[in-house]
Amino acid sequence: MRSGTLLKTIATFLLVGAAGLVAQENENGRVLYDRWCAECHGAEGLGDGSAAASMLPRPRTFSQARYQVRTTGSGQLPTDDDLMHVLNVGLPGTTMPGWPNLSDQQKRDVIEYIKSFSRFFAAGPAPEPLDFGSDPGGGPEALAAGAQAYLTLECEACHGAAGRGNGTSAPTLEDWRGFPIRAADLTEAWALNGGSSVNDIHTRVLTGLDGTPMPAAIDAMNSGVVSPDEVWQLAHYVASMGPRERPRLREVVRVERASEGLPQDGSDEAWGDIEAFFFPLAGQVIEVPRNFAPTVDGIWVEGVHDGSEMAFRVQWNDPSRSPDSEWDEWQAKILATMDLDGFEAPALDSTGAVTVRWPDAIRLQFPFEVPDGAERPYFLGGTTRQPVYLWTWSSNDGVGEGRGRGYGSVEPLPGELQGTAEWQDGRWTLYLRRPIAAGADGLTFSEGVPIPVAFSAWDGSSGETDKRAGVSSWYYVLLEQEPSNAVVVTPLIAILLTGAFGLVLVRRAQGRARA
Amino acid sequence: MNLKHPFWQGVLVLVLAYVVIKWGIGYLLPMIGVPSAPVPSTVVTQYMLTVLVGVLLYMSAESDRWAAFKAPMVRTMVDPGRRALRGILLVGLPLLVGWVAYQGVKPSFGAPATLRSIHPAPPNSITFRGATMELAGLENPLRHSGDMEAHLAVGNAVYTRNCVPCHGDLLDGQGHFASMLTPVPADFTNTGTIVQLTESYVFWRIAKGGPGLPNEGAPWNSAMPAWETILDENETWSVILFLYERTGSTPRTWEEEGAEGEAH
Repeated sequence: MRSGTLLKTIATFLLVGAAGLVAQENENGRVLYDRWCAECHGAEGLGDGSAAASMLPRPRTFSQARYQVRTTGSGQLPTDDDLMHVLNVGLPGTTMPGWPNLSDQQKRDVIEYIKSFSRFFAAGPAPEPLDFGSDPGGGPEALAAGAQAYLTLECEACHGAAGRGNGTSAPTLEDWRGFPIRAADLTEAWALNGGSSVNDIHTRVLTGLDGTPMPAAIDAMNSGVVSPDEVWQLAHYVASMGPRERPRLREVVRVERASEGLPQDGSDEAWGDIEAFFFPLAGQVIEVPRNFAPTVDGIWVEGVHDGSEMAFRVQWNDPSRSPDSEWDEWQAKILATMDLDGFEAPALDSTGAVTVRWPDAIRLQFPFEVPDGAERPYFLGGTTRQPVYLWTWSSNDGVGEGRGRGYGSVEPLPGELQGTAEWQDGRWTLYLRRPIAAGADGLTFSEGVPIPVAFSAWDGSSGETDKRAGVSSWYYVLLEQEPSNAVVVTPLIAILLTGAFGLVLVRRAQGRARA
Repeated sequence: MNLKHPFWQGVLVLVLAYVVIKWGIGYLLPMIGVPSAPVPSTVVTQYMLTVLVGVLLYMSAESDRWAAFKAPMVRTMVDPGRRALRGILLVGLPLLVGWVAYQGVKPSFGAPATLRSIHPAPPNSITFRGATMELAGLENPLRHSGDMEAHLAVGNAVYTRNCVPCHGDLLDGQGHFASMLTPVPADFTNTGTIVQLTESYVFWRIAKGGPGLPNEGAPWNSAMPAWETILDENETWSVILFLYERTGSTPRTWEEEGAEGEAH
């Protein structure tokens, strides 16, 4: 035992000495860090680079050595492999990419340099990964047990009952520096910072995400609140909450022709048979004031028509049902800490309370006329010369039609668009219905013709209003045509003609051969 | 199958041409780093008709070759021993034609093909924040004045705050918003982008963005902002310096541009 202690002491001395040497001599790491990392993480590793305020979550501060993605216990330093993993694949759902442009040696140099920002790395023995045990496997029973563990460990307090990041504590969350941070939407596994596999999720649950409010479940496990198997089952349950990969982008919403009647509202069971299309949204980073970190990162669209009317269902995740005073604190923090790019946040009142609460909103954008060629209005809200036809909805004003002459400006139009919206458990469901034929102003949705469409979304509780939005590129909706006779007749004629031509050829060739 | 026989040679040429046109241009070229796009199906049909006519012209140019070329077909039509093959072709070919016709008339849910010019011809002059700038012969003034390190630092900061969300930290067009945009942002590490362009061209593209493209560039689709509303002239030239420095590349010079112009 004594010689063990002595060895440890010697090893510690050696490590401290070695780390000090490395910090001084790691010129390669410093150069690489300054070149690729400093603009976000800051030259001194304080997470205060020139672009940091436009990012949510903020870039990591290295000087305190608090790392989210680790295989070590809560409050422990990460292993070199943990850091290497993040440099290899990045942090999904954040602005941190993987770095395939750097060689393994270069990444090791960067890791040594990053570690030199904190005295903790030099001070102790190399961190050891936890023992994560082995996965007892998934299946219906495991998922049921995992759902129970989700309740036992109070995951829903932040992540919400359905996992969409809308728990009652979600509006209060901040990282260790006091910057607002979102509870992860567990139904969008592709954007989980620490990875989307059952293994990844299990590791994050056990180790917690240091520097964020996400605690480590290992204490609860060690004190018997949950068993090791139940933590694995929880990971299986979380992984089952949504698709692992972001849904593939298909550019055309196929608006099916209904065999019997249109769905009557957003919860009509008839929607179950209709294909849903996913469209990702980027922050509106084109016109000032830009929105670098939009809340809504994608929407689902379904459509169906019966030849005279059409119905659409649009769904998107938004943890807040804005306007909602529960989210005042969140809104104030976002507006106080994020790079607003010139957006003037309304002043708080004398008690520090917000004075303006914005609604949630969504916009579907079309041209006023289906284009003959490729030309169409500018995708970002049209222009004065080529305005766009809009379907608008907000949680304050409901559904309307409008004309847009540039992003942000909407001139209301009379129209027959109707709709209702419902927010449930972190998700909006908007039901829209309109005659296919246009009213006085608007667009007639001709069957069989691809009609350009683009989308925008706003989360009022994150201070999203006007140009602070999430936006999509131009895509299409296409109303399915009534099956026409041409689909049968044309191939039939082609077959008969070719067959007859072939027979004649063969006859003539045979006749000539006999002659 | 005797590949020296004119008939099979003809078939081989057609098959090879189809493979090259259908997959070679769209998928193989990008593998060796040459930017390309799949050929639209109507264009494939046109190309294939051209190749077919070429094969027929070649085969019929000499009467011996023409006879040899026709022989397998004639034999299939008359030879009693080939009755089964004849039957299969007489039924199969019309069905194939019927299937092609069906593909043409069946309801389609694909997006219409959109062709756009990636690097449309630049204008002779632009207005930048109200002032007229001649693009022809225009050099990056920062290459010959001031401290290059300082220029690059400005460019780095401008790039990180403004360009990273789409064009990415690695300048590879893979920013965190990139996969949400159609068309996708330019990849500056690709030899088909800034390396082929003069700095004045890059200045024009940054200053005027998507809305400033001519119609052949599909200005209505591009998410590239008109940066003159956000960046001043110094910031724009600085970020251009940064793009070339960080990708380890050099801009096209006016000498190269001129040589190319004369060659045309």
